[in-house]
Amino acid sequence: MTAYDPCAHCEEMMQPYMDRVLTDTERAEAETHLDDCTYCRKRYRFEEKLRQFVRNAVQEPMTVELKTKLAGLRTPLQ
Amino acid sequence: MSETTREPDARQLATEARDRVRFEEEALALSDQVYRVARHLVGSREEAEDLMQETYARAFRSWRSFQPGTNLRAWLLRILTNLNIDRGRKIQRTPDLQPLEEGDYFLYNKLEATGDGGSDEDRVVERLSQNDVVGALSEVPHDFRDVVVLVDIGDFTYADAAQILDIPIGTVMSRLHRGRRILKQAMAESAVGGDGE
Repeated sequence: MTAYDPCAHCEEMMQPYMDRVLTDTERAEAETHLDDCTYCRKRYRFEEKLRQFVRNAVQEPMTVELKTKLAGLRTPLQ
Repeated sequence: MSETTREPDARQLATEARDRVRFEEEALALSDQVYRVARHLVGSREEAEDLMQETYARAFRSWRSFQPGTNLRAWLLRILTNLNIDRGRKIQRTPDLQPLEEGDYFLYNKLEATGDGGSDEDRVVERLSQNDVVGALSEVPHDFRDVVVLVDIGDFTYADAAQILDIPIGTVMSRLHRGRRILKQAMAESAVGGDGE
């Protein structure tokens, strides 16, 4: 019941792995597992694509009106 | 060096005016990036626009307190998040009973299980819509969302996010970790749990 589950461990490592905050040892450990495990590898690749998708999905440019209003807040030149 | 003039001379005034103009131009050049974060720290576009104007008005008033050479974008976001809290956001407290979020594989598992059988990562991501993401992000409790928005959308480092929100870096990391999981869970509910297409 308490057996070590390498995939569960790899799941825990995913965010720090993607954020590049693992130690070299931890990173090597994760990569060794990923080399052998299609299940985890798919999920890591999905995470990379997901992060990009989220960044693109939330893009909502400022309106020209707002830009103009912000520029209008500048201190008038004397 | 004993002579100090009390009244700034014309040259000093000119220098100050030049510095101020430069500051204002630099701050305005960052407005798209600031808005990108602002838009998702609050619930609506109108709120985000109000907050942007308040932020820039304050920034232009207190431009002298910005230390040249430091991160201007982070400085602007610090003003913005403080104003956002002043606007009464703190009243909307984070629920004590926070959802016990699923793990990081949850969203993929859900999408894969309910799709057409394909498990290619590109195809699985395509099962999400833009609305799934935007809606899910707005459902993430504020404390968690602030960190996710700053780091994952605003590209701030953990250290910058800690400074902007005035919280320890360890708190940034734990909120980010949980916030992303809450977000993924909300996306799964939106994409799979709702009425689908």
